[in-house]
Amino acid sequence: MGSSTVHELDQDFINSFRSPATAGNRIRDLNPISFAIIMLSCSVTAIALPGPAGPAAICLLFAVLSVAAGLAKTFLPLYGKLFAVVGLILFVLRAAFLPGNHILWTVGPISISAEGIIQGLNFSLVVMAVCGAVTFFFAVTPMKNLMLALEQRGVTPRATYIILASFQAITDLGKNTKVVMDAQKSRGIETEGGMVRRTTAFLPILAPVFLAAMSQTEERALALDARAFNSRNRHSHLVSLRPVSSAEIIVVCAVALGAVLSIVGAVFIWN
Amino acid sequence: MELVSLRNVGFTYAYGDKPALTDISLTIEPGLLYGVVGLNASGKSTLCSVIRGIIPHFHHGELTGEVRIMGKDLLDWDPAELSKSIGYVFQNPFTQISGVKETVFEEIALGLENLGIEREEMIERVTVVVRELGLEALIRKNPNELSGGQRQKVAFASIIAMDADFIIIDEPTSQLDPDASEAVFGIIRQLKERGKSIILVEHKIDLMAEYADRIIVMKGGQVVMEGPARDVLVSDGLGDAGVPYPEVTELAFALARAGKPLSSVPITRAEAAQLVSDRIKEAPHAHSAL
Amino acid sequence: MKHKKGFSALMRSYGRLTIFMIPIGIATNFIGGQIAILLKLPMYLDSIGTILVGALCGGLPGALVGTISNLINSITSPTLAPYATLSILFGFLAGWLSKHGVFKSLWKTLLASIPFALIGSILGGLITIWVFGGLGGSGGALIVGALVAAGMDLNAAVFTAAIPMDFLDKIPTVLVVFLILKRIPTRLFVKLPLGYVYLNKAKTTSTTSAVNPVDDEDDELALG
Repeated sequence: MGSSTVHELDQDFINSFRSPATAGNRIRDLNPISFAIIMLSCSVTAIALPGPAGPAAICLLFAVLSVAAGLAKTFLPLYGKLFAVVGLILFVLRAAFLPGNHILWTVGPISISAEGIIQGLNFSLVVMAVCGAVTFFFAVTPMKNLMLALEQRGVTPRATYIILASFQAITDLGKNTKVVMDAQKSRGIETEGGMVRRTTAFLPILAPVFLAAMSQTEERALALDARAFNSRNRHSHLVSLRPVSSAEIIVVCAVALGAVLSIVGAVFIWN
Repeated sequence: MELVSLRNVGFTYAYGDKPALTDISLTIEPGLLYGVVGLNASGKSTLCSVIRGIIPHFHHGELTGEVRIMGKDLLDWDPAELSKSIGYVFQNPFTQISGVKETVFEEIALGLENLGIEREEMIERVTVVVRELGLEALIRKNPNELSGGQRQKVAFASIIAMDADFIIIDEPTSQLDPDASEAVFGIIRQLKERGKSIILVEHKIDLMAEYADRIIVMKGGQVVMEGPARDVLVSDGLGDAGVPYPEVTELAFALARAGKPLSSVPITRAEAAQLVSDRIKEAPHAHSAL
Repeated sequence: MKHKKGFSALMRSYGRLTIFMIPIGIATNFIGGQIAILLKLPMYLDSIGTILVGALCGGLPGALVGTISNLINSITSPTLAPYATLSILFGFLAGWLSKHGVFKSLWKTLLASIPFALIGSILGGLITIWVFGGLGGSGGALIVGALVAAGMDLNAAVFTAAIPMDFLDKIPTVLVVFLILKRIPTRLFVKLPLGYVYLNKAKTTSTTSAVNPVDDEDDELALG
């Protein structure tokens, strides 16, 4: 075996499993659960703080943090797109349709009021801050780390299997869809033309992909069973996450406290 | 003690029209490689499923007779324990990758994680298997992006890492090209050398002749023959079951029909080469003997 | 999912294949939506996996497919998250309808598009009103805006925009579900929790493929 080309064993890679997984960045090395609490606290703070400055500051915070995490390249375009599409629609529709006393100008049935603009700004920035917390969380946290953290907290590997396998299934079925689509096209199934024609092309593409995947579930179940998936032993983990440091706990508590204070403020001071 | 014993075993799948297995009595001894041959739908995979306990724990249906695995009645086994005690490698390389691990190294470790093996031992065992199967170049790769042959090697590695003494291998090369098949048979040879008990379902009869200690011949859901590979592969029973003979055995038969039989009937190429070369040497006129 | 034993035991009670059907259902939701976009169809077709798994495995697995699909979408479009409620109901409804044999007959299946479309449009509209004050962040909100501009009441506009869209989506959706269910082989129905519903019919026309499921696996469906 392996007589043709002998490859060196990548000892560095193997050794990497002996110490906790690291992305070489403080933010990205936070425990996923800690980071989830931080992002949740940020969302709560954004909702509670007076707008539009409060939620806007939180949005800005995510942008700054993404730079610090070295993820600006992936996160900022995504976040920018959310602003440009969802944020803009949320804002424009409110600015245009919410009633108010200070009408700035009127175009046909639409009268834009100062109140509409303020409310639109407040609402869309709050939604954007919450969106930012979610997208930034997943930009920072690899899904497998999140699942590992959940398993360490007692979530069954069955549940995490479903999530991780779903992502792989989306990739695999997507590939098969391309194959089937090309095959059906060459068999003369029209994917262009009128609406009815295009609609009837849908089933011959989706059905084979679904049925093929479904007919493999049996073998998948048996193959995973052969890997002791149904074993009732406590599962161990090849990959480990960094232990939660006391500094990390302090940061989490501080951010959570900030959220609580902003709620108190919202109830007693600025609302 | 025998590894597996079947007495008058029959099985009909739920919603099946006719039995998939009928009246099978068979004993599997430890430390040997049993080859299972027969036409498609002759019951080979069903037999493996019974021995592995997938029937009746997973495939439902009507199981009759008595199945004992390692001395214990099949119905008394905990399915999870059974899956630890008997390794199983399947024919489809694509369904054996879990889809939840991003590198081959982690993929191979999955079974050990499920068994709760300590990290250091896990790294050790995976590394050993990677070396044995020559997978060094693959360990960082994403298992979901490998070729069929590579995936099948990873599937073997994953099962071997779990270190069961008894492994069932069901048509491991049916979807692989000749090079990958060769590599898989190399792995099976290693397992045999290590004294593992193996049941191998395989269509490539020449390879079977090389590696099998004993052969089980199936036809229409029944075991029509079981015996040492040497006896079975030259017997009429094999042909009656519709299974082809090894190439060199066919050759010897043809010589016998032509009135010039070899001194014994070979089943492997090496034997045939020896017999033919002996014939050439002993023949007074070498050019006319064959 | 906090109750570890609970979730494991629950999944076990659904038979061993259900856990493997859920990811496929989720992927089917995604590729359904993608094929609809590729074919430039004016409908979403992104709940076929939810309804199929609900019909085959039961309401809860179907609801899980819907929820997870929605949450995965929410990673990049978080404003979709509140609509997970719809997906949950689609899953449960599919399981309930399937148990009552609805997906075995074409006309009953077509009628089933009504509750699906009504849940989609009315509950969907309510979520839009409650969470986003009637003006959501999707393309549909622009239609609502246009209706309001034409003088319609905001809440009425939300439903007026949603109801036809949802029927246009759910009729082909249930039709595709019906046609796919018809093509599922007996050997797979046997192992799925609600497979028995479809087997009464299948058994009378039982094909030889049911004889030997395992040796039969290398059929034309074996895609890579």
